[in-house]
Amino acid sequence: MSTLDGSGPLARLRGGTARLVSPRTEADRERRRIAALTLPFLGLAVIGAFVPLAYMFRMSVSESRFGIAGVQLDSYVALFESIAAFVPVLGDGVAADPVYGEVIWNSLWFGALTTVVSVAVGIAIAHGLEKYRLPRKGLLVTLISFPISLPGIVVAFMIQIWFSQTGVLTNVFAALSGAEPLDLALTGQPPETTLAILGLFLGYLYSMIPRATFLLRGSYAEVNEDAEAAARALGATPWQTFRYVTLPQIRPGVVGALILTFRTALAIFGTVLVLKALSVVTFRFQYEISNGYDLPMASALAGLFFVFTLLFTFLGLRYTSAEVAG
Amino acid sequence: MSTDAAEGGVPDREVGPIGRLSTTVGRGAVTALIAVVAVFLVAPILLAVVASFAGDWTGILPTEFGTLENWRHVLGLSEAAGAQRALGTWSLSIPGTALVVNVPFASLFFSLVVALGGVLVNLAVGVPIAYAVTRYDFRGSDLLNTVAVLPLVPGIILGIAFLRTYPNIPTGIALLIGYSLLKVPYMVLAVQSSFESMDLRQLEESARSLGASWPRTFLAVIVPNAKRGILSGSIICWTLAAAEFNFTYMVYSRNPRPFSIFLYNNITNSSILQTAAAVSLYFLIVAGVTAALQSLGQRGFSIGGAR
Repeated sequence: MSTLDGSGPLARLRGGTARLVSPRTEADRERRRIAALTLPFLGLAVIGAFVPLAYMFRMSVSESRFGIAGVQLDSYVALFESIAAFVPVLGDGVAADPVYGEVIWNSLWFGALTTVVSVAVGIAIAHGLEKYRLPRKGLLVTLISFPISLPGIVVAFMIQIWFSQTGVLTNVFAALSGAEPLDLALTGQPPETTLAILGLFLGYLYSMIPRATFLLRGSYAEVNEDAEAAARALGATPWQTFRYVTLPQIRPGVVGALILTFRTALAIFGTVLVLKALSVVTFRFQYEISNGYDLPMASALAGLFFVFTLLFTFLGLRYTSAEVAG
Repeated sequence: MSTDAAEGGVPDREVGPIGRLSTTVGRGAVTALIAVVAVFLVAPILLAVVASFAGDWTGILPTEFGTLENWRHVLGLSEAAGAQRALGTWSLSIPGTALVVNVPFASLFFSLVVALGGVLVNLAVGVPIAYAVTRYDFRGSDLLNTVAVLPLVPGIILGIAFLRTYPNIPTGIALLIGYSLLKVPYMVLAVQSSFESMDLRQLEESARSLGASWPRTFLAVIVPNAKRGILSGSIICWTLAAAEFNFTYMVYSRNPRPFSIFLYNNITNSSILQTAAAVSLYFLIVAGVTAALQSLGQRGFSIGGAR
């Protein structure tokens, strides 16, 4: 460690930096250009994300609830005990409160369900937009992309317009069935009831279907149409053509869309905050901050969430056939 | 539809019931699904705009049209109850003088200014990184590309981490940095799509052989050629940042109140009609922005597929 011979990694790093500042060859100059082009982004990422994240991990092991003091692992122990307590059979022997296990499970199953539905609907929409002769297709694309601009809280209001007690569809269904609007409303119901969760489900779809659709449109643009035409000419039905010719070509795009849409689902917060139907990780995080200000616990939860999404995204994009056509 | 066909064999010649069904109703079903989704997504937006001019909404559709009362409420032009949920006024004292300027529509104005600052950072950060990963092939370029187009952290977690790390930073600056970080993927994607349609190597080499230095080549040749992507990226980032909620909700503490918090206060506390006016204000902005994007050859917010 103390000896710095000329070939050590540190010396190489120093030599590399020196060549970066005053390059000698064209390759050095190109390296300097790349460094100059990437430096602003890396600077923003370090100041805006890496330092705060490192600080957050430090907070998660802090003994003080309000600042940095000492080291404890209680919040992680509590977190993992809670997760263990939630596991059906194993959890019977653990005395901890399963609340964190429950919110993590809620995030996972609800995110997975909405992701699968959004991507399935997205495939159908991308297919129709690419293959069919639809009227005003340009306008249709613009309209379907409009919700991407809406923050989650506004999405929640859109769901209220359809399905609240005074909502349009609630009142249509009430008029048709003769039931009370209050019994049919999907928003404003007590949390964790079927109706409330259905309302939140539609809110997630409102955000996620447009995103899934435009992720998949990139893949559809690259599909070989000659092969499809050949399959049709040889007597394949539209379904067979889709199943055996189109789908294999868009499969990497579908896997990519599943990964990115699931990420989106996990990060949704505003919609849950307004509709309050299901306690997911982002919602619980906010609860830890605003009730009791338990920073170590909130930070531990956020840290676990961050590590999970990071691993999930990078391993997913690396070790599956996933392709993201922007 | 036997399973061996999925493993590379030849599909059954017999079409089967699904095949026959798909031939007859498949296209109709997909078209109907597109129509249902389009209505599900767009109708509440139109209804909100229409309802913002209505006096009553107790039945299926709003009624008693022609009133501007809801708009007067949210714009802060009437003194009635609920005025604290209006856009408000922002009192700015000019440093060094006794002058105090009252900015009307404070929430909107404040957020648009902060978001514009975020866009400037996005330009300085996003255009070079988009060029680096499109033009050059270097170790880690794929990873860097992935990191640049995927937001690293959800806004709500970033918000609290940011707030604790830099406790003394003014709200406006904190929001500016957060917005630029959270929205940079849209800038990178938009600019990248412009770069990908250009022959970057040839452009660069032509400019260099004519005697331009590399920085000059980048600033005077490459960047102007990607004008469309840069403009649409800026417009998208500006709009999205102006209404960003998750990060804002965690970081905001003092006045002026950001626009998304104004929306949130209305959505959770106001009558449905006043809320309709509040969100319609944002819809009008997005509609204007969409028209601007259209003139740049960009179909609305369709670049935002990745987030």
